[in-house]
Amino acid sequence: MYTLYFKIALRYLLKNKLYSFINIFGLAIGIASFVLIMIYANYERSYDKFEGSENVYRVYMEYLEGNSFVPGDAQSYNMVGPTFKKEFPEVIDFVRFYKLEETPIELDDKVLEVNNGSLADHSYFDIFNVGLVKGDVHTALKEPNSIVLTETVAKKFFSDSNPVGQTLRVYRNKPVTVKVTGIMKDIPENTHFKINYLLSYNTIVGWDGISKNQREPNWNNNVYFTYLKINPNTNIEVLRKKILNSNFEDNVDERHNIEPLENIHLYSNKPYEAEANGSIMRVKFLTAIAIIILVLSLLNYINLSTTKSLERAKEVGVRKVAGAQKQQLILQSVIESVVLNVLALILGGIITLILLPVYNSFTEKVLSLELGSIPNVLSILGSVFLGMILAALYPAIVLSNYSPSKALKGKVRTSSNGLNVRKGLIITQFLATIVLLIGTIVVTKQINFMREQSIGVNLSNVLTINGEILTEKSDSIFNNDFAALLNEVKKNPSVTDASFSNSYPGCGYERLSSFMGITYPDGTLDEKKVWYNYEVDHNYTAMMGMEFIAGQSFYSNSKGYSRDIVVNEKFVKEIGVKDSHDAIGKKLKFWSRDWTIVGVIKDYHHFGVKNPVLPIMLRYTPTKDFLMIKLNSKTIAEYRPIIAQLRKTWSSVFPESTFNYSFVDQKFEAQYEEDNKFSDAFRIFTALAIGIAALGLFGLTSYTCIQRKKEIGIRKVNGASVVKILKILNIDFIKWVGIAFVIAVPVAWYVMNSWLENFAVKTSISWWIFAFAGIMALGITLLTVSWQSFIAASGNPVDALRDE
Amino acid sequence: MLLQLKNVSKWVQSGGQKTFLLKDINFWVNEGDFISIMGPSGSGKSTLLNVIGMLDGFNEGEYTFLDESVHSLKEKHRSNLYKQYIGFVFQSYHLIDELTVKENLEMPLLYKKYGSSERKSLVGDMLDRFNIVGKKDLFPSQLSGGQQQLVGIARALIASPKLILADEPTGNLNSKQGEEIMETFTQLNKEGVTIIQVTHSEKNMAYGSRVINLLDGNLV
Repeated sequence: MYTLYFKIALRYLLKNKLYSFINIFGLAIGIASFVLIMIYANYERSYDKFEGSENVYRVYMEYLEGNSFVPGDAQSYNMVGPTFKKEFPEVIDFVRFYKLEETPIELDDKVLEVNNGSLADHSYFDIFNVGLVKGDVHTALKEPNSIVLTETVAKKFFSDSNPVGQTLRVYRNKPVTVKVTGIMKDIPENTHFKINYLLSYNTIVGWDGISKNQREPNWNNNVYFTYLKINPNTNIEVLRKKILNSNFEDNVDERHNIEPLENIHLYSNKPYEAEANGSIMRVKFLTAIAIIILVLSLLNYINLSTTKSLERAKEVGVRKVAGAQKQQLILQSVIESVVLNVLALILGGIITLILLPVYNSFTEKVLSLELGSIPNVLSILGSVFLGMILAALYPAIVLSNYSPSKALKGKVRTSSNGLNVRKGLIITQFLATIVLLIGTIVVTKQINFMREQSIGVNLSNVLTINGEILTEKSDSIFNNDFAALLNEVKKNPSVTDASFSNSYPGCGYERLSSFMGITYPDGTLDEKKVWYNYEVDHNYTAMMGMEFIAGQSFYSNSKGYSRDIVVNEKFVKEIGVKDSHDAIGKKLKFWSRDWTIVGVIKDYHHFGVKNPVLPIMLRYTPTKDFLMIKLNSKTIAEYRPIIAQLRKTWSSVFPESTFNYSFVDQKFEAQYEEDNKFSDAFRIFTALAIGIAALGLFGLTSYTCIQRKKEIGIRKVNGASVVKILKILNIDFIKWVGIAFVIAVPVAWYVMNSWLENFAVKTSISWWIFAFAGIMALGITLLTVSWQSFIAASGNPVDALRDE
Repeated sequence: MLLQLKNVSKWVQSGGQKTFLLKDINFWVNEGDFISIMGPSGSGKSTLLNVIGMLDGFNEGEYTFLDESVHSLKEKHRSNLYKQYIGFVFQSYHLIDELTVKENLEMPLLYKKYGSSERKSLVGDMLDRFNIVGKKDLFPSQLSGGQQQLVGIARALIASPKLILADEPTGNLNSKQGEEIMETFTQLNKEGVTIIQVTHSEKNMAYGSRVINLLDGNLV
């Protein structure tokens, strides 16, 4: 009997090619979209999970703002770990990281720049559950000047020879010579703390490339990441309270808090994160879109097969008369659905596999359907399948309920109940489509809005060059060399100006220094606020196109250094000075020294327009971290030869060095990359959803036309024009779009409003967005419906009536 | 006696008024009868046939089929009854388009849970009996109307019903095909199958042994 069911199902699918195509293809697209989005979402949720990860917490800072504490830096002091372990029995162990930026590492004469390096306590291996491929995990990071490499990095230096016991030199201002004590497997990509190599933490003590204060145990320099391993039986809230109330550093304006390691990637977005984290909001939005698309394609299926089942009423009648039980009919219908759905599932799987590489390069993640994530894949497939079974049951039950004598006479009209169900389904489809449309428009508008924002500085044609000088020289010789370099660079005809700085807009927090404790011009001492500042050369403000509201930039002097500062408007407001002009000449006290404000610049977006403008301070120092070069705008299109020239100039001054460059405007734009991708994803998946909905509509209309063929014929015989008939066929759909629109507007408004809350600069949700989305939905509907109904309406009525 | 209808009436309510489809029908059928129900369009022929076939209910009266009171049976029992004893033949054949001739014949047996070998032999018998062995793998659309109706009759007969109900079985056929079908019915009747047919045509009526005339739901 079952073979017969399958046979019928396949023959039926083959016979009704258009219907089968619409159903299978629509479902397959829905499944593929759902699976692709869900593996991304699952990947985002999979960060920092390993055996024991649930007991690992990160310590972060909280700062007093007004009367309450707000989350502050992700980095804390190097005393936090040892002190907490000693004072709180719940803390089993701690690991501190001192993160190094891209760093040159030298083996004999071979120099490679390696990023994501850290100094780390030897407890790292235990807390993060990492083992060694070579070397002893218990001693590898115990001795000073030890280094543990990942397999990939080790391979780059040593290819296949054994690296353990070899020595390397790591450069950070000054080099340190280290011995390879272990090789670890590459750290999985889904961690917020990427690691390519680890130096033993106590290496810091003797490394003069790191500032003296940071090398010693301290409670005032929070540049270390601290992770705690907590006893599994601990009540975290009790421990948190203890930590919040402790005050080891003796400073009432700040305190420490802890957060679960597993939550960092999606829930934490603090200054000085180890890397730009993901966003739970984005994951939730994408998951919602995934579910909407899947539900849309299932609704489509339900709708189509229910409508289509009207055609099969006769068959059901025959079967009933021939003795079929209701259950048998339901079973047959479900089997047919399963056949169709399995085909769709296979096609969806194929589409997923084909798209996965493209998708990976789009998300820049390594997503796969690999076996390692079987529970995830199963949960995804499970939900797909559950939806399918539910979708299969409804038409089956409708079908089996037909009364045989009526079905045989072809007198089946769906009950008003069934009609209402189908209307409901269509309206839901339209609703989802319109909400997605509005969402897409709002997201796109917001991204454009952010791009169009004036950021207050001119970043175009600004090139930044940084390199590590590998030869050991005294500071004075360095300064001379850099002066010579600057001269040489300025001689290049493509260069308009050149300067130095240790940060620039788009760098994020990582390059900024921050401090607390400042005495205002009026003498009040403020110890609560965090002040961000960075170091520049005297002509930096002019080169970056910063606009002065009052005063001017630093006077250049031979020392290349002064106690003058340039601040932004926000800063002036924060220190309680009303007018920017009054701020000039005002004295501030911090770091136990007096500083004079010499210039006030217009507020500019240092952290991208996503974030609010913070008070910021520029100091004049002989920093040489970044060589900033403004290029002649005419030559920008042909920048490659210029880079080559600059590289030559650079290496003529510093023969032993590395050379890196980037364009500042591109780096600034990169801050919006995730948002851009989100908007792209939103657009693509919305287009798919609309495609699926249109496909369903197409199918539905074609059957409506078949069903109403006789009616259309009669109307035409009685003189109705094609237009009149089109109107009759379209009016229902227009009504449904209208109803869906009315429901969609408040839903979309609410959802998109909460999304916009994420941004400091928000675009407005204008009325035309809704109008546009509504018109678009209506347009798509009319096009789809009219195409089909035109064919029906323009046919010869005799054909329609002859069948009877 | 195979079945008996006593004072059977069926009506629909429209605008507070009863419109009778069947009114006070009294009528019996013996095993081996070949009955023709005649009457103009709308006289209730098909309704009566559906009532006899238990596809439709009725509002008043009694219906006894093989000593079972159909009017007091539950839906489930009723359908079991007709599934066991009655075969249907339709004007427009009502074969399933997606199934071959052989599969169409096999279908009722599947629902009645016959074993595979039994199904095979019954289907084989039917194909032989109606001389359509050569057509067994064709789909209905590949057959002429007369051939389709032969398959329809074969299907109705396959589970050896006591009664065949035929609603204008030759209505869609030309006269030659119609004659062949009526010959087939006569032959079946001779073999002991009770037949009730609804027909418009005097010629077809003549094949039957008894005629029932209907007008506006009444026996005349």
